[in-house]
Amino acid sequence: MSAILSLKGVVAGYGGGDVLQGVDLELEENSVACIVGPNGAGKSTVLRSISGLLDPRLGAIALDGQRINGRAPAEILAMGISQVPQSNGLFPNLTVKDNVLMGAYIRRRDKAFLHRRYDELAEFFEVLAERGQEKAGNLSGGQRRMVEFARSLMMEPKVVLLDEPSLGLDPKALRMVHESVKRMVERGRSIVLVEQNVRFGLKLADHGIVMESGRVLLDGKAQDVLKNPEMAALYFGGTVKEQLPQVPAVPA
Amino acid sequence: MTEFVQTLILGLLVGGVYALLASGLTLIFGVMNVINIAHGAFLILAAFITYSIWSATGLDPLAAILITTPAMFVFGWIVYNVTLRRIRTGPAAATVLLTFGLALVVEGLMGITWGNTAHAVTAPYFNESFHLGSLFLPKAQVYGGIIAIAVLAVLWIVLTQTWLGRAIRAAAVNPQGAALVGVNVSGVAAATFAVGVASAGAGGSIVSVLYPFLPGSHYVWISRLLGIIVLGGMGSLPGALIGSLMLGIAETMTVTYISPAWATAVPYALVFVVLLIRPNGILGTRLREDVVT
Amino acid sequence: MRTKTIAMPRAVADWVPPEWVTSRGVRYGIVGVAAILLLVYPLLSDDRYYQNMIILSLVFAVGATGLNIITGYGGYVSLGQGAFIGLGGYTAAILSTKVGGNPFVWVPAAGVVAGLFAALLGMIAMRARGHTFVILTIVFLFLLQIVSINWRVLTNGTAGLTTPLPTWSVDIANWPFYYALLGLLVLSIAMSWWIRRSKFGMGLVAIREDEDKAETVGVNTPVYKILGFVASTVFVGMAGAVYGYYLSFVDPLGMFNILLSVQIILSVLLGGRGTLWGPVLGAFIVEPLNEFANNSLGGGNVRLLVFGGLMALVVLFMPRGIVPAITEFIEGRRTRGRAGLVGERLGAAIELKKRDVPLARPAISAQMLLEVKNVSKRFGGLQAVDGASFGVPQASITALIGPNGSGKTTLFNLIDGTMSLDRGEVWFDGRQIDRMKPWNRAHAGIGRTFQITRLFREMTVLENVVAPVREFKLRQLGADAVSGHEAERAEQLLDFVGMLKYRDARASALSYGQQKLVELAQVLMLDPKLILLDEPAGGINPTLIERMGEVIKELNSRGKTFLIVEHNMPFVLGLCDPVRVLGRGQLMAQGTPLEIQKDPRVLDAYLGEDFAVEEEPVKA
Repeated sequence: MSAILSLKGVVAGYGGGDVLQGVDLELEENSVACIVGPNGAGKSTVLRSISGLLDPRLGAIALDGQRINGRAPAEILAMGISQVPQSNGLFPNLTVKDNVLMGAYIRRRDKAFLHRRYDELAEFFEVLAERGQEKAGNLSGGQRRMVEFARSLMMEPKVVLLDEPSLGLDPKALRMVHESVKRMVERGRSIVLVEQNVRFGLKLADHGIVMESGRVLLDGKAQDVLKNPEMAALYFGGTVKEQLPQVPAVPA
Repeated sequence: MTEFVQTLILGLLVGGVYALLASGLTLIFGVMNVINIAHGAFLILAAFITYSIWSATGLDPLAAILITTPAMFVFGWIVYNVTLRRIRTGPAAATVLLTFGLALVVEGLMGITWGNTAHAVTAPYFNESFHLGSLFLPKAQVYGGIIAIAVLAVLWIVLTQTWLGRAIRAAAVNPQGAALVGVNVSGVAAATFAVGVASAGAGGSIVSVLYPFLPGSHYVWISRLLGIIVLGGMGSLPGALIGSLMLGIAETMTVTYISPAWATAVPYALVFVVLLIRPNGILGTRLREDVVT
Repeated sequence: MRTKTIAMPRAVADWVPPEWVTSRGVRYGIVGVAAILLLVYPLLSDDRYYQNMIILSLVFAVGATGLNIITGYGGYVSLGQGAFIGLGGYTAAILSTKVGGNPFVWVPAAGVVAGLFAALLGMIAMRARGHTFVILTIVFLFLLQIVSINWRVLTNGTAGLTTPLPTWSVDIANWPFYYALLGLLVLSIAMSWWIRRSKFGMGLVAIREDEDKAETVGVNTPVYKILGFVASTVFVGMAGAVYGYYLSFVDPLGMFNILLSVQIILSVLLGGRGTLWGPVLGAFIVEPLNEFANNSLGGGNVRLLVFGGLMALVVLFMPRGIVPAITEFIEGRRTRGRAGLVGERLGAAIELKKRDVPLARPAISAQMLLEVKNVSKRFGGLQAVDGASFGVPQASITALIGPNGSGKTTLFNLIDGTMSLDRGEVWFDGRQIDRMKPWNRAHAGIGRTFQITRLFREMTVLENVVAPVREFKLRQLGADAVSGHEAERAEQLLDFVGMLKYRDARASALSYGQQKLVELAQVLMLDPKLILLDEPAGGINPTLIERMGEVIKELNSRGKTFLIVEHNMPFVLGLCDPVRVLGRGQLMAQGTPLEIQKDPRVLDAYLGEDFAVEEEPVKA
């Protein structure tokens, strides 16, 4: 299968210094890739670089062969990539339905499209049918996560980026998240997820990527990565030193 | 008893007009974290414009709302883009000082254009009242109150049923989330300010009929409005409504049962007391302790 | 928004102001000349118009210099300063008409009344910040106006009070007012200068820069704010008394006019808030402008345009004011093209002090210095801490580790008082501290650094380290912070962490690693028993990490206890013993570093919770 999303040599940072030191990554179509790694590894930064919230200093990101680095978030969304942020994704003062519809804000004039998509999503995401007119702020953590997922699917994206979807959820809600992601892939989407909960993330994924200090350290089938003894060492007692190419420094 | 009921109804009607004005102010605060001290000056400006239209064409001031509202919308849009946009990221007090400066400028311009004497718009029904049993309700107050509530309803519809309204409410609470779904957050801020000023425009037309006004009247008005949004909870639209009705009733009661002179103190005293006891107002959102775990 | 750069002729663009422009001699010279001119002016000229302008300028200069203390130093913008002029004017007028005597006699009383009202306003406004505070000051002013209109028995209402006529000869007509106000201005400036150099002043500026951080380094913010408010109004009240006498008439609309406040704050903003001379300069620009607008340009409305427009322009384009703009311009020109001291790479600048004798690690006692008992905290919809209980032994270096979201930083916030807990207790040094205010906990001996460093950006490095308050003593507030005992101690601490060379650099110019060291020095100024370090090794280079470890060991050998949150495992495991592991808001495991590394539950916590996949798939 071909790669639907590819990152090559991405170097990016927030002005204080580069967080990503040259990241190479490929997401195969119709699959789930999970990025794990300790704090400060740059996992969320990778997602922000893809969705356009951050502009990479060096390197290239392409969706289906088309360049996306350097474009505005709205453009990237239109091209087919949506993101569910780590926290604060919802608008608690809007209803559940309005929250989901906002996912298609850039296509808001097309009423027929919006209604059709919403009804389709309501079939799978029960919370939309049951509590559509309630304020989103009143929902539990797991239900909110489902609303966020539904919203990210409104534009029928090719790629969905999930930033720590398991954060703050109890086991029952985790199961819901697991099911939803599987369902999304069945419907033809490709997922990149970032996870602190390593077991949850790698169990869900086909492809596992371990990052540390802004670089990719391990990359392979999710099951293999999970069982790799270096994982324990990584979280717990040492950095895996490798010969990695030096990134050109920022000109003074 | 009749006097009480009459005072109460008048208080509600007056409160309705206040609610229209306060909504704009609290909307601007809720979305942009800006306290628009010039809101009073803007409404007086609208009152003067209404006066000019009326004295030139005889148009019913309440009908002039259809002119002043869009005109003030454009005016608000321009003011935002020329001034406020630059200091959005600065300290909170800077916007207070800036909008205060704008208020003074508008006051000066009004004084130069229309002079510093009291003006009033006398509509044909100016001296007439509705008689409901033993109640005497001045027609101007009734019409004013009803129209204010109608405009508020329109504002409510705009905020809940249109995409602009959703975008405004979304950006108010979560600018980053809004940006992720493609909302132009800075454009929304300009629109919000413009909508707020437009509602001041509508309210100003109504005020021109109900009260005499001169350029310096904006101080009394902004104090009232600040009192209301502080009472109801800064940023909360339902709070603005509740606060307005409460203040309206409190003022009419003070006028009837204590004395008109002390009625002007009511909004100030209210602000003081409420900010002391409940700094977030009745319906205000509590400040979240936002910390990185 | 794109700005076009205007091409300037080479000679102008490259001009560097000569050294002597900002030298002390020149500054004193300018001030001296101005002072002498002001002093002798009435003797030289009888022009009533200009005398009047100077007198009014002096009133506003006193008002502005006072306002600068709470607004410029303290960061609390007040639009109610005019109220204190009014209070002073009314006090002197009321007392001299009802009790008798020349209003000059009552000037000190006016100051006292103003101070009392300021203390009252300060106590009331204690919980308000930012724009809420400004609104309160406006409301305060309007309320006073209404009271003075309606309380006719005392104030004669809108008719106003007429002060007794001057009792001196016509020859010296305005002189008493002139020199009284000049004297008050000198006193105000002296007080402002003294405050800025004192520990009290450091506290005020700390409040301005980061009020919550100031609380954690021992600044009793409510008391400081009230004192600051009182200081900013006492001389202003006195000036108001003189002003009222000068006008020989006080009335509500004149004395409690919002435009007085506007003019005062405009003077502060224009001249330069937070500087010593800026407000005075501003007052002497704005008042003549005011007279000009009133008389020559056509009166009241034009004046409004000028004031309002000027205020808007200053806020938009020159928010720091004239004096800082000039000094920045000169400094900018001077240091162009040359690397400042702070640009040097840190590793080179810090010399690692070599010890002759290896450090002795103190024996870990059984006594717990800090005990957290069943503590819970919920916010933002998450149960961040959920019944956590553990202890930190005296003289230990204890590590607190755990995955993201396990509640480590929240626990720190609960210990140092930044957040209040929902349930549970925190005991320190034998006392229960969970109800104590942050500054009292600092005084008790708890110091804490932050994950993202929080220094007082506009202060110098030295001032940052002098600002913390070890214990609250009124006497100590006046202590000289720039030189003297406190400053010496600060310098010693800076030397210890290796940052003495940067003592005069602005905190905002430092690199991340340098800031971390200065923050540590700040904490040490409190002479704490327990030091909480939040990710001390995060985001800095390996040389500095090593240095940090050495500093911690050195301090520990002198008896200080540490509780360290860290993600850098080798750093933690090499330095700390015991180790506490947090997971999902509660203690999961504890023991020595070796025990922890082998504990399967710990690895579990890091790798994440599992759920049974074999169960029926559930519809979301």
